[in-house]
Amino acid sequence: MTESRSESAVLPDPPAAATAKAPHLPGDGAIWVMVLGDMIIFGAYFLIYMVHRAMTPEAFLAAQQHLNVTVGVINTLVLLTSSWFVVRGVCAARDGHPERAARLLCGAGACGLAFIAIKAYEWSTEISHGYTVHNGFFSFYYVLTGVHVFHVTLGLLILGLCVRELSVPARRRISFVEQGATYWHMVDLLWVVIFGLLYVMR
Amino acid sequence: MSVSELTPDDEKATAVADSAAPASKRDLNIVFWIFPAFFGVFGIVFVPLLRVIPPPRPDVGYAGMISFFEAHHTTIRIGLVLLCLAFGGAAVANGYVAYQMKRMTSGPVFAYVYMGGMAVGVLPGMLLVAVCFDAASMRLDRAPRVVGFLYDLGMLSFNGSLGCFSTAYLAFAIAILLDRNKIFPKWLAYLTIWQIVTELLATMMWVLPAGPFAWNGSMTFWLGTAIFAIWLNCQGLMLKKATDQQPAGTRPPE
Amino acid sequence: MTRPTIIRNSAQGSTRAITIAWIVLCALTIGTWSLAPAHSGVAAVASVSISVAVVVLGFIKGRLIIRYFMEVRTAPRWLRLAADGWLLVLWTAVLVIYLV
Repeated sequence: MTESRSESAVLPDPPAAATAKAPHLPGDGAIWVMVLGDMIIFGAYFLIYMVHRAMTPEAFLAAQQHLNVTVGVINTLVLLTSSWFVVRGVCAARDGHPERAARLLCGAGACGLAFIAIKAYEWSTEISHGYTVHNGFFSFYYVLTGVHVFHVTLGLLILGLCVRELSVPARRRISFVEQGATYWHMVDLLWVVIFGLLYVMR
Repeated sequence: MSVSELTPDDEKATAVADSAAPASKRDLNIVFWIFPAFFGVFGIVFVPLLRVIPPPRPDVGYAGMISFFEAHHTTIRIGLVLLCLAFGGAAVANGYVAYQMKRMTSGPVFAYVYMGGMAVGVLPGMLLVAVCFDAASMRLDRAPRVVGFLYDLGMLSFNGSLGCFSTAYLAFAIAILLDRNKIFPKWLAYLTIWQIVTELLATMMWVLPAGPFAWNGSMTFWLGTAIFAIWLNCQGLMLKKATDQQPAGTRPPE
Repeated sequence: MTRPTIIRNSAQGSTRAITIAWIVLCALTIGTWSLAPAHSGVAAVASVSISVAVVVLGFIKGRLIIRYFMEVRTAPRWLRLAADGWLLVLWTAVLVIYLV
């Protein structure tokens, strides 16, 4: 995001992708500080959750039954698909098709919006059934999914910035788009863990 | 280069520098060192003296709260004396960060947001708990409900005043990301976003009186404090770096 | 910077790999749907084998996302190690806490 502008507006920044011999770090070092650090912090959240679960496993299991797994599966598929769009978008940008890349990122954004909408529906259903933060398991559920949905919202903002980046001929910095993509995949990755731990594990 | 040797071309470049800005950075260095000095005193006051960090439990009855103040009333009052002398350092520390933020190409407005947010936050977020605890310790024969009220009021305001800080941190993060002068490194912006996330989590303290999301909980307090400690140290180190890299005799634009 | 080096990234090849990874991930997700406790009218029972499956599948899915979507497969070695390390530490710790 503080990259100097490339003179060649359409051609991608070198190197466009890795070869077997030349490893390529997507984005820049700073975004990986963000992503790895966020993964570690969430990892700590997950482990604290597991410890509390181990203290009252029956209560947690009983509460878990009230989660709508089908909705969880749909949300997982939605995010996985959004990540697929993002990867295709980055490839398109590297191949010199910024308009197609922008459309693919918009597709990812649409999936992200769908995720948030489904999550809102899920929360409202559970709250209307009386499962609030006063339940041990559900306090973790709301906090983990809440912080995650905050990350998704931030991700939508970042995707929007990437689309704008691709739409302006004078910019189109591949590194910027790669950074956004890396962040988005992290959001997807964290949800996969949340799904496994909260929805499926017993 | 003395004033008499300036050519017309240099005029504009040094116009800002010339207006009584000294060519040494002694003023910057003096102000910078107030940052770690203040936070050092803050640590001593809030950890062993006031006993706010780590916090006393929210799920004790009035008897527990009274015994807390009875046990610590001496150190609490010593803490208040120190805090009263030192809390101006908060203004200096935050003001100096804002000063460095003004050097960014993202403009001075974020610096003012930072300063405003931090300044407002310090009242509930630092002073109120100290005053409440001292008031409770001063007369130990108050009615238990009154003691309990001071206990809760102090702790809730300390933990709950996160909105002000979140706003300030957001301004800090956005300013860094938009800045082309690279006053602070980009990774510090990302660390700051983690800080904001921990503040989001901390909202649970208002709702739950016990467990991992209470004001002494593993998720809300311990993890949040660990991240805060890391972030504060990084901000301090990067502030030093920004101070060292600032060319002598320049000042940020108005 | 002035000499643009367009390395043909064998666009078709990598796109196919990405799509295959996506299909595998979706399949694994749909597969775990049946394992979840929130299904039958009967009260859920704790199950070690299912939870172990969750851990293993979580590791696999995470690795697929990291290596294929995040392109860590072609990243510098420190990143490959860090990512694998995170997966290993997280899921091992989850398993240990669950079993103990």
